[in-house]
Amino acid sequence: MTERTALRPAIGPGAWTRLLRFFANYGFLPVILVALCLGFGAVEPVFLTVQNALNIAEQASYLIVLAAAQMFVLLTRGFDLSMGVIVSAISVISAMVMVAIAPEGQGPVLLALSAGILTALAFGVIAGVVNGTLVAFFDINPFVVTLGMQGIAFGIATTVSGGFPVFGIPAELTTFLGQDGAWFGFLSPPVAVCLLILGVSYIILNHTVLGRSLYLVGSNTRAAEVGGLPWRRHIMMSYVLCSLITAVGAILMTARTGTGEPSTGGGLVLLSIAAAVAGGVSLRGGEGRIIHVVMGGLLVSVLSIGMNLTRIDGFLQQVVLGIIVIAAVFLDRLRLRIRS
Amino acid sequence: MPFALHLVSSHGIAPAPPLIEMTGIQKRFPGVLALDQIDFTLNPGEVHVLFGENGAGKSTLINVMAGTHHHDGGTYAYCGQALTDLSPHRAREIGICPVFQEFSLASDLTIEENLFLGREICRGGILDKAEMRARVARVLADLRFDLPPRAKVSTLSRAEQQMTEIAKALLQDIRVLILDEPTASLSERETERLFEIIADLKRKGVGIVYVSHRMVEIKRLADRVTVLRDGRRVGTVEAAAVSETKLIEMMIGRSFGAMFPDIAHRPGRVMLETRGLTTADGLVREADFTVQAGEVVGIAGLVGCGKSELARAIFGLNEVQSGAIMLEGQQVTQPSPATMLQSGLCYFPSDRVAEGLALARPVRENMTLAALNLPDFVKSGFLRLRREKDRAREMIAKLGLAPPDPEKRVEFLSGGNKQKVMLARGIAREVKVYLFDEPTVGIDVGAKAEIYKLIKEVAESGAAVVVISSELHEVVYLSNRAYVMSGGRLVVELRGLEITEAAILSHFFDRKPATTVGVGAPGTI
Repeated sequence: MTERTALRPAIGPGAWTRLLRFFANYGFLPVILVALCLGFGAVEPVFLTVQNALNIAEQASYLIVLAAAQMFVLLTRGFDLSMGVIVSAISVISAMVMVAIAPEGQGPVLLALSAGILTALAFGVIAGVVNGTLVAFFDINPFVVTLGMQGIAFGIATTVSGGFPVFGIPAELTTFLGQDGAWFGFLSPPVAVCLLILGVSYIILNHTVLGRSLYLVGSNTRAAEVGGLPWRRHIMMSYVLCSLITAVGAILMTARTGTGEPSTGGGLVLLSIAAAVAGGVSLRGGEGRIIHVVMGGLLVSVLSIGMNLTRIDGFLQQVVLGIIVIAAVFLDRLRLRIRS
Repeated sequence: MPFALHLVSSHGIAPAPPLIEMTGIQKRFPGVLALDQIDFTLNPGEVHVLFGENGAGKSTLINVMAGTHHHDGGTYAYCGQALTDLSPHRAREIGICPVFQEFSLASDLTIEENLFLGREICRGGILDKAEMRARVARVLADLRFDLPPRAKVSTLSRAEQQMTEIAKALLQDIRVLILDEPTASLSERETERLFEIIADLKRKGVGIVYVSHRMVEIKRLADRVTVLRDGRRVGTVEAAAVSETKLIEMMIGRSFGAMFPDIAHRPGRVMLETRGLTTADGLVREADFTVQAGEVVGIAGLVGCGKSELARAIFGLNEVQSGAIMLEGQQVTQPSPATMLQSGLCYFPSDRVAEGLALARPVRENMTLAALNLPDFVKSGFLRLRREKDRAREMIAKLGLAPPDPEKRVEFLSGGNKQKVMLARGIAREVKVYLFDEPTVGIDVGAKAEIYKLIKEVAESGAAVVVISSELHEVVYLSNRAYVMSGGRLVVELRGLEITEAAILSHFFDRKPATTVGVGAPGTI
């Protein structure tokens, strides 16, 4: 094989190459995002206000947290279909723990909140260990494993709650972690937690052996094995991290509504995968960065808020989201071709 | 007669036009000029050998001949008529039949079904099985191939599949037969039979394009030899008038000395030893094998003889059933890539794309892939990125990687550079035993020479080196000792000057383990 000849279009190497490299690295998303904002702004000027921008940031932060969770398993060529229902199950269970300790805020509130949050995280770890062990050590397809886990978590969520929302959570949860709270007087809690999760994820992915290994394993599992990496353990860890971050997302959502919701989770799987993949995380594994998740989450949020503001029918919105997922995968292929 | 010729009757007297006349053939794949200005003629009754290394363009050229690829420049004439838009089907119709190395057989169908696949004989829209069966029986009898016509292809050995392919090609009237390394999986007896068939076809005026890099076959069969290198034609020579050395030098594009460095072997203590090693899949049987510090040991053998599996078993990639693996005198109980790397043994897989590299990741990450447990690159779970980048740059400079960019994604590198990136893991950490599995497959000559140089360096610096290769000259010119493997057994051990191409080839079909070490009988093929 001879050395690959570089693309040399007529415009000259400078501008064109730089443009292509930009698309290759970040995808078409930044451009689409700006275009969408301008488009919605033209139809509904309210869209382009500071107030709305903050709203978008807040809405997006929930999704970005879940998309970041999803990214850890997407990197290893897996995915987590159980994520949405796990959110429901965790929401219900941690709500019940909090209500049991301090019903309507009557009792040791701090203990109730800590116990609720710890329960949520513990449940996340358990779900992740189960998913991860089955996928990594028993070589069962993640589709089957996480679909099964979805059934289990759904059963738990509806059985323990009897199918009804759990009321009576101490209001402090909402003031501390809900949308109306403000850390240091200005920072919206969901945005703050989201940034925290993104920061930690960034460090794990770029600065630890585990993160590096996830990329290598996702890009070529056999090569990782031949290179002596503990690939099974690392794949399992990706599911644990995924479910742990999902648990954080579940706490945020419980705080948002102030209730344990047994049925919020359903659509979150599609949304989280859509956001990650639209952002540029590859379904073929081994590729994807934190910035991709952020942009993908923003895209989906901008779309859904924009469509609400311009009064597009809710069911039609589903159609648009579905198209976004498929288009994103298509563009991903295109991006790859540009790169070569 | 199944391969009687109704069309051609050149008895070598009348000046028939060449069967195939190619001038200035060009073929471009994305990013690669696979064929550049190739001229090639094939006369009736001629065996024209295509000679060259992997990736030289031989396969592309025969694919153009057979209509699988379309050339994008030059002209291709068949019996004096220009061919355009040739499809594989059309090629077969006009009498150009290829037998590729990748078999075109449907594995769930039987031999007879395969032979007529796509050209079934029908009577009134219904398959005429009786007629097809009779014709299959006839062609197999003519060829004296011992094949069960009703057996499913998936149950056949590689050699039997190869014979089925040949029978398939000869089922119809042919004028050009293209054989792509046909003997790579045939036994001596089957090879002999194939050569008789070729002689027979020659007499009938069939032209034969024969791809091979085995000297003995070229000497025996070839009328003319065309040597290809890096997609270009180096030259076409009369086989009778050219020496072996000359051919190899044409192929590699440089003198022997420049290609194969002189390695000063200084065999020291035994670093790696296997005793009666048998793998669970049965591909390696009772292998007794040693390699000492400071020497290069070659392992040669046919595809599927178990030479690769031996190394993989040692590295923990193939399950061991019985026998012992001793590394520096210590028995290894549970070999795994992680533990073997930890003890200083590294295996470099032959399929670097499938098993060696994370293609979507940059050069730097691939270079340190097997060293992520060393304090050099990692401190309590965290990567030492700056240090890693520095080390990557050093390794890139040492290996002469082009372009010297540690952040380049590996998938965009050429075959040779990919190989260098994989070999970097032997530099990134301390390795005392190197197991190279087909270290130069599919890479260009320059990169090959550099890899041989690297092998020389590590061997002379005291490491034990094993080179497993299907390129015979690699084993011949690099090894201090060489083993030949056949049917899962190490059948002979050759030393020093005993290591010749003929000696190695003569043991390719031995079935007895090497009880006595001795000189192979050269020239038995």
